[in-house]
Amino acid sequence: MKSADDHAALTISPMHRAYLTNQRWFGGKGRDFDVRAVHELSWLSEPPGAGEWPVTRVELVEIGYEDGDLETYQVPVAYYPEKQDRLEHAYIGEVENQQLGRAFAYDALHDRSATVYWLRGIIDERVTPDARFSRLETGDELTEEPSLALTAEQSNTSLVYGEQSLLKVFRKVADGRNPDIEIHQALTLDGCDKVAALLGWMSGRWTNASGKTVTADLAMLQRFLRTASNGWELALTSVRDLMAEGDLHADEVGGDFAGESERLGATTGEVHAELAKLFATARWSAPQLSELADQMTARLVDTVAAVPQLKPYAPALRGIFDDVRGLAGPVPVQRVHGDLHLGQTMRTVRGWKLIDFEGEPAKPLAGRVALDSPLRDIAAMLRSFDYAAQSMTTSPNAHDQAGFRAVEWTGRNRSAFLDGYAALTGTDPRDQRSLLLAYEMDKAVYESMYESRNRPSWLPIPLGSIERQLANPVAEVDA
Amino acid sequence: MHPTEPGLTEHDPEWFKRAVFYEVLVRSFKDSNGDGVGDLAGLTEKLDYIAWLGVDCVWLPPFYTSPLRDGGYDISDYTDIPSDVGSVEDFKAFLDGAHHRGLRVIVDFVLNHTSDQHPWFQASRSDPDGPYGDFYVWSDTDDRWSKARIIFVDTESSNWTWDPVRGQYFWHRFYSHQPDLNFDNPAVHQAMFDALAFWLDLGIDGFRLDAVPYLYERDGTDGENLPETHEFLRKLRRYVDDNYPDRILLAEANQWPSDVVDYFGDFESGGDECHMCFHFPVMPRIFMAVRRESRYPVSEILDETPPIPSKCQWGIFLRNHDELTLEMVTDEDRDYMWGEYAKDPRMKANIGIRRRLAPLLDNDLNQMELFTALLLSLPGSPVLYYGDEIGMGDNIWLGDRDGVRTPMQWTPDRNAGFSTANPGRLHLPATMDPVFGYQAVNVEAELENTSSLLQWTRRMVHVRKDHPAFGLGTFSDLGGSNPSILSYAREFGDDTVLCVNNLSRFPQPVELDLRKWEGAEPIEMLGGVRFPRIGELPYLLTLGSHGFYWFRIPRTTED
Repeated sequence: MKSADDHAALTISPMHRAYLTNQRWFGGKGRDFDVRAVHELSWLSEPPGAGEWPVTRVELVEIGYEDGDLETYQVPVAYYPEKQDRLEHAYIGEVENQQLGRAFAYDALHDRSATVYWLRGIIDERVTPDARFSRLETGDELTEEPSLALTAEQSNTSLVYGEQSLLKVFRKVADGRNPDIEIHQALTLDGCDKVAALLGWMSGRWTNASGKTVTADLAMLQRFLRTASNGWELALTSVRDLMAEGDLHADEVGGDFAGESERLGATTGEVHAELAKLFATARWSAPQLSELADQMTARLVDTVAAVPQLKPYAPALRGIFDDVRGLAGPVPVQRVHGDLHLGQTMRTVRGWKLIDFEGEPAKPLAGRVALDSPLRDIAAMLRSFDYAAQSMTTSPNAHDQAGFRAVEWTGRNRSAFLDGYAALTGTDPRDQRSLLLAYEMDKAVYESMYESRNRPSWLPIPLGSIERQLANPVAEVDA
Repeated sequence: MHPTEPGLTEHDPEWFKRAVFYEVLVRSFKDSNGDGVGDLAGLTEKLDYIAWLGVDCVWLPPFYTSPLRDGGYDISDYTDIPSDVGSVEDFKAFLDGAHHRGLRVIVDFVLNHTSDQHPWFQASRSDPDGPYGDFYVWSDTDDRWSKARIIFVDTESSNWTWDPVRGQYFWHRFYSHQPDLNFDNPAVHQAMFDALAFWLDLGIDGFRLDAVPYLYERDGTDGENLPETHEFLRKLRRYVDDNYPDRILLAEANQWPSDVVDYFGDFESGGDECHMCFHFPVMPRIFMAVRRESRYPVSEILDETPPIPSKCQWGIFLRNHDELTLEMVTDEDRDYMWGEYAKDPRMKANIGIRRRLAPLLDNDLNQMELFTALLLSLPGSPVLYYGDEIGMGDNIWLGDRDGVRTPMQWTPDRNAGFSTANPGRLHLPATMDPVFGYQAVNVEAELENTSSLLQWTRRMVHVRKDHPAFGLGTFSDLGGSNPSILSYAREFGDDTVLCVNNLSRFPQPVELDLRKWEGAEPIEMLGGVRFPRIGELPYLLTLGSHGFYWFRIPRTTED
């Protein structure tokens, strides 16, 4: 609990600044920022001076952007008196101060002699002056095992202990309950097996640069889905198989994915039903639907300004969003996943599981826990099927049939997903066609902005989808 | 009797757990006397080939006296051999020759039913009050036990058939010419024990017990897996253990593994019913996994397979003399398999597909090798089907299941070197099509070609022999980053084997979490090449289309 004027922060911050800008999980790339403070939580290891290395603690880097936005990033640090070649990929920088002497800082999550403190903390339900480790009683036996940091993630860092558990360390942290932990805790306690069970978590407390006390969730421990693979990878396997067979239809090839899609639809339906049971629900009538239409329209306006290619479709899209205002309602709303796509699904030997209930990471916390229609998630999954298929057609050597096959694959798997969802929940999302279409087009508009900023070569994916939907909105959902 | 045989090790109660089995149809393997039918003397002539291949045990489907309306599973005399196949003396000579070469022999035995030509049945029909009157299951009506499913749905409409001689219906779970024996009659038990003892006394190493789930019938049940059936198997096992140690019982129970596991018997004591059972669902799942390019069909079924008693073993196979069984898949999967592998309606039979491995895989050598590598490395003792080691084809135009029972192709000469008979006299015609015919596919040619499927299969079988982990080891699915890659470790004591299989027709990378063996350098088992040391980070491998690796993981202290 130290503030910006603490000596350590002043000496360390240039190191943190350089380190942050090179991390995948840092959200402020390309924006100018200042490190306002570095808050150092108590040592998780013995403090320096005891002669044991590394010494390990969590440091929270509070940054401010030019426009006044504030963000806090978590950097667990392991300090050594000498350089560690084996940790070169996790090197943060060099410090010299009274407490540490001359020391070399490494990202502790990549150092298995440091990561043990998180697992041990949860096992022992450790409490330090500014951090608390909690354990959820699930019957799982937890034993200390060496960790391995996973490499695939965008916004957090996860590591696996042995084969039993996965620690997800949140990089961008915020005051209040993390929705990922909140939802996993509720679903785990209710016995839902469509998510990876929550085993424990860690939270910390500090006073930020503005003098406000912040209590934030910093990490969560889940049961590790040992032999699972990511739904996006699995879907691409199917698409790849189809593309190799120019003359066979999507329902004829060996790699047909419809069975998986249907089961994924059922899994999504089951999780939605659980969320509706365990958390608050509400109903939206005209005022809220109007507000939703306003949000969608506003996003459209912003995006058209930035992505001129979207302009020809704007009037029709506006019409789709306006239709939301006139819906008969009331529309049931509840807690949802918020950022569902194939990459947030895992296929295990015991069926599908959904992961990452953090909501859309770009949104502030309040927006991520707000109630919404489950159609938001369903529309996002429908978009994801389109992405999986179309991503294989952007390659320059895709054959002429590829575009046709991609649309066929998308239609087949979207339908199967919706069938699975409808069969489990008893509610067919296609009965709320206008709202589903609006959510889907809103998502495609969002994607257009994202792609034009980050992957211009993929911009044709959302644009192509918008064009097809507008040409034949019924066929795309009914396919 | 065994310990004195030259080729076999002394007392070895677990031999079947490490063994590779080789299924041979006597009538289709080698004809020694030119009558067009393969025989025991011909089989004896070919023992050197079988031993060379490296298998450990020969499994012979029934060669008993039979009207042959169901491939010999319709037995009309349990203790005699028809003259076209040979004699009991010929069988003894074969058995001794096999044992001399270190090969064991198991034979099929049908407990559930006999042929309607069996003298017991004839006596039961004509003399209901005689000694055989109660040997079969008779009824005045045909409506009892209606919950029992009809197995051969293609040919049978009921499990009851009217017998005009006795004036009653008789019960049959299979064909109407195969009446079920009445296991409620103790005299039937004794008759079965006597028949089994006849072969055990000759020195055979075990039985494959055909159709075991159906021995009893009880009201209100489907007549499968009844407690009485298990009681009989325990009695049979005690009889074999007490009198004939090291002999095995291998059950054919085409059920889900969770039901089949009951046929091993008591878990605590290591098993008190059958030593081995076939694991049926793993086979169609391998086919599905490769077509879907996804490991999940296989990973799932192995995950759902319960542990088995310590002295027991699964038997696994890719193909055998029956059709590719699709009873143990879901309806959705079955439709899919039919669509994928039985494009011509004649390729379907009952609830399966009647094809050999090579034509099922479009004669793709990479896939045949991948499938064989899976067969030889997944948990259980593998059963090779004669001819699949050279990539033989099938003849879907032959009736029933005969299409996969055509003569073994030894040479490019007349009748594939199987027989000197006039080709028209062969019991089944040798395959002559341009791709799979004996002029293209035969043992002689493949012996001369060191890169042939035959030579490759032999090398794999021998590599397997060197590693007890394959037969005795634990199995753990390693998952990995790529859903098209099926990878697993087999471990037994110090022996650790790592198998990585690319189920996709495209080259694939995979990252595996091998930290458990950090510091070790995996050694590829076919070539002995050392791979990079396993470090702290995920282990990256790349595999060619339908490629696979077998690695041995040396202990880190080993140089």
